[in-house]
Amino acid sequence: MNYVKHILDELGLGSERLEMFFLSSSEGARFAEIATEMTERARRLGPSPLRQPRPMQMEDKP
Amino acid sequence: MIVAEQKPLEEIKSMLAPYRKVLILGCGTCVTVCFAGGAKEVAILASQLRMATRLDGDEKEILEATVQRQCEYEYNEEAADLIREADVVLSLACGIGCQTMNQQFPEKLTLPGLNTTFLGQPTEQGVWEERCQACGNCILALTGGICPVARCAKSLLNGPCGGSQRGVCEVNPETPCAWQLIYDRLKALGRLDLLLEIQPAKDWRTSRDGGQRRIVREDLRL
Repeated sequence: MNYVKHILDELGLGSERLEMFFLSSSEGARFAEIATEMTERARRLGPSPLRQPRPMQMEDKP
Repeated sequence: MIVAEQKPLEEIKSMLAPYRKVLILGCGTCVTVCFAGGAKEVAILASQLRMATRLDGDEKEILEATVQRQCEYEYNEEAADLIREADVVLSLACGIGCQTMNQQFPEKLTLPGLNTTFLGQPTEQGVWEERCQACGNCILALTGGICPVARCAKSLLNGPCGGSQRGVCEVNPETPCAWQLIYDRLKALGRLDLLLEIQPAKDWRTSRDGGQRRIVREDLRL
C-alpha cells in the first residue's frame, strides 16, 4: 500500500486516490460510510489527470 | 546475490527524454530475488513510465521483457527482436547485465535503471546486508566465517578498533561491529587461538587495486 501510494504521489496522481480498508461482511453500515467517504474524496480530487483526452493521433482519425 | 535498487523515477525519465520507444529489460536472476529488476518490477516501472510520460505530454511507447540472466549473451539473444525494435533499452539488471547488453548490441544504447549496490544476503524480509567485497582472496577461514573486509567499516584484519562500542560500529549504530561478531563466534567455536596470530597487511592486488580482474579457465575454453 505505502509503496503504491508513494508511486501515485511521485507521478503526481496523488496518494489519496488509493485507500485500503479491512471490514467483515457484517459491517454493512461501515461499508456504506467508507463508500460515501471515498466518493466525496474522489469528487474533491476531481478526475484523474490521466483522463485528460489525448492529443489526436493517426489511428484516432476517422 | 548481487543486490540493487531502482534509480529514482526522475533520473530515469531524464535519461529517457531523447527517446520515444523504450524497452525495459529485466533480469531473472539476482535482481529478481532482491525485488529490483525482475518481471514484476519491469511491469510496475512500465506502468509508471506510461503514466508519467503521458502526464508530461511526452508519451512514450514502452516495451517490456525479462531475460533469465542479462549477463549472458545467450539469454539476451531471446529478446533480440524487441531490442532492435526499441530506440533505447533501459536495463533493470545489475551493472554487469547493462554492460553485457551494450557490448552485445553495440548499435543500441542500453541505459542503467538500477544502482547496483553490493554483494549481500537477505537477512530478513525486506532487508539486505552486504556480506562480500569480492576481494579475491577469501579469509573467512581465519575469522569464523564472518568477513571483516566487507563488514568492518575499516576492513581491519586485526580488529576491533577503538570505535567498537557495546558491539556496534561507531560509523553506524545499526551496524554490528564485525570484529565483535568474529570474537563471539570464535569463542563459541573454541577457536580464539585464531586471533592470536597477527595478520600481515593484505595483498590487495587480487582486489580492485590490480585493476579489472579476469579469470581464464583453459579447461573450459573452446
